Amino acid sequence: MTSSIRGRLLAWLLLALAVAGLLIGYGAYYRAQEDLNELLDYQLKQLAFSLSHQSVGTEPAPPGLLLPEPDFITQVWDKDGVRMFYSRPNLEIPLRARQGFSNVAWNNESWRVFTQLDGFRIIQVAHPVRLRQEMAADLTRRALAPLAALLPLLGLGIWIIVGHALRPLSTMSSAVRARTPAALAPLPQDNLPEELVPLVGSLNDLLQRLNRALETQRQFVADAAHELRSPLTAVQLQLQLVKRAGSSEERDAALERLEHGVQRSTRLVQQLLTLARQDPQHGEVHTAVDLDQLAREVIADFEPLAQRDSLALSLESDGPVHMRGARDSLRVMLGNLVDNAIRYTERGGITVRVRSADGQAIVEVEDTGAGIPAEERSRVFDRFYRMPGQSTGEEGSGLGLAIVKRVVDWHGGQINLASGASGAGLRVTVSLPFGNS
Amino acid sequence: MRLLLVEDDAMIGEAVRAGLRQEGFTVDWVRAAEAGDAALKAEAYALLLLDLGLPRKSGLDWLGELRRRGERLPVLILTARDAVADRVSGLDSGADDYLVKPFDLDELSARVRALLRRQSGRAEPMLRHGELTLNPATHEATYKGEAIALSAREFALLAALLERPGAILSRAQLEQRLYGWGEEVESNAVEVHIHNLRKKLGAGFIRNVRGLGYSVPKTP
Repeated sequence: MTSSIRGRLLAWLLLALAVAGLLIGYGAYYRAQEDLNELLDYQLKQLAFSLSHQSVGTEPAPPGLLLPEPDFITQVWDKDGVRMFYSRPNLEIPLRARQGFSNVAWNNESWRVFTQLDGFRIIQVAHPVRLRQEMAADLTRRALAPLAALLPLLGLGIWIIVGHALRPLSTMSSAVRARTPAALAPLPQDNLPEELVPLVGSLNDLLQRLNRALETQRQFVADAAHELRSPLTAVQLQLQLVKRAGSSEERDAALERLEHGVQRSTRLVQQLLTLARQDPQHGEVHTAVDLDQLAREVIADFEPLAQRDSLALSLESDGPVHMRGARDSLRVMLGNLVDNAIRYTERGGITVRVRSADGQAIVEVEDTGAGIPAEERSRVFDRFYRMPGQSTGEEGSGLGLAIVKRVVDWHGGQINLASGASGAGLRVTVSLPFGNS
Repeated sequence: MRLLLVEDDAMIGEAVRAGLRQEGFTVDWVRAAEAGDAALKAEAYALLLLDLGLPRKSGLDWLGELRRRGERLPVLILTARDAVADRVSGLDSGADDYLVKPFDLDELSARVRALLRRQSGRAEPMLRHGELTLNPATHEATYKGEAIALSAREFALLAALLERPGAILSRAQLEQRLYGWGEEVESNAVEVHIHNLRKKLGAGFIRNVRGLGYSVPKTP
């Protein structure tokens, strides 16, 4: 069966019509047979009666004289069973003893027979059942002929009507075809057939989500390109200063600055890649993760950096905290938080805390640094946002906290910024659901 | 020539300042519009180099404020925004020129020189006065057909005087144009430079107006 709705509808409707036609035909045939039986039985009877008022000899009557109907066979017997008359010499249906109507099988044919006994004679008129059936069939055919003739016309009509009814579908499909990644406007929803409304609704929903995702992506690429310009500008200028340097001391100083510029560009590119990877679609598999263990690894990684800056880096934990999550991403998250804390703390220390509370895994990183003013806290998670007046000399990529936020979002967690215990410094609290383990 | 650089990126700011100093400019560098405002009130600058992506107040907004206040100094925008619309809005906000990052130090100094030239009403890139010719692009000087060697400060001082022949510049004004913030200025530095220039160009080339300052005569 074809998969076109139009074709299917046409085939099924025509099939239904044909079945209906057959049923009607059968009914008509049955009805016609009943009527014909009644009529012809009446005729048989009339014929027998008319014969009973005539005197007939034993010789067959000349053809056509008595019986204009050649299909009827008439025979007359006397009281002693001697045949006095027969209308067809070759067709001699045996005498029936019973009076009235009966069906007789004779000579490989079925006959409808009427027998009348009128005192001294027996008159018997017969008619072949086959003829009755043929007449009924003929009548039925005539009744059905117009319907059969109409069938192709009906088919054409169905084809056109269904096509018309399906037109909104083709309008819709050309509207969908007209959508490109650059133009994802919602599909028009006016004058839609009821059946299409949910489909178009979900399509529009999808288009909207797609648009948002593309817009985010576009914005990201634009931001990234813009952000890469700053370190590249610095590198280009520093390179020119190296070329211009007159003395070897000048050259050494310029080369050192150039190296910093290159490191900064590299770091930005790495952060961009990390950010791009922290994406559910990228699909790092969630596995069982022990946050306590993870925190120990991250602290071991950053210990040398903390020592360089004379900062104390410590862990407070009551033991393993198990959850399901993307291990590498969680490690990047924790690493960025510790890195930031070291970067913006001049003296004192950084404490990492791991615990479970209220059915959630909690990771906390607290430092004794400059902290983040309350009015800036909502914005520091934005990509490429840098706090004004940050003059620690370190040029951040503006991506560290954006990456943290993305990992937390991906795990369905929450992140909260507050001042440290003494009112100074920064405390970052990340709450993560355990995940179904 | 004393220039004000407003740029929040430490690496870029440092490199631009170093590069322009090598070209003989005096550069003061601040990292935000507010600090720029303070600097403009305190000192007289020949030109403003302005980055647009500043913290808190954007460079464009600040530029609009400056122009509404009637600030007339030439402004050269340094920015990573390279769309035509950005350039147009930058120039329409009152900038005189627009340079997109990353840029070349040589191009930056050439544009700075061109803006300064235009500001002083000259079309000719060379500074000429009688038989003296100064080339601000190459820092070469010729006098009576012969090349003469000038130090960067001597060149800058001479160029300041030649810009408006006849006008008297005080010692303080000259110091201001020759030395940026945090640069050591010896109390008699200007006199020393004048002395050296007179030795190279003849005693009458630079006049000393007692108590007021120095000038080159209007007609040599």
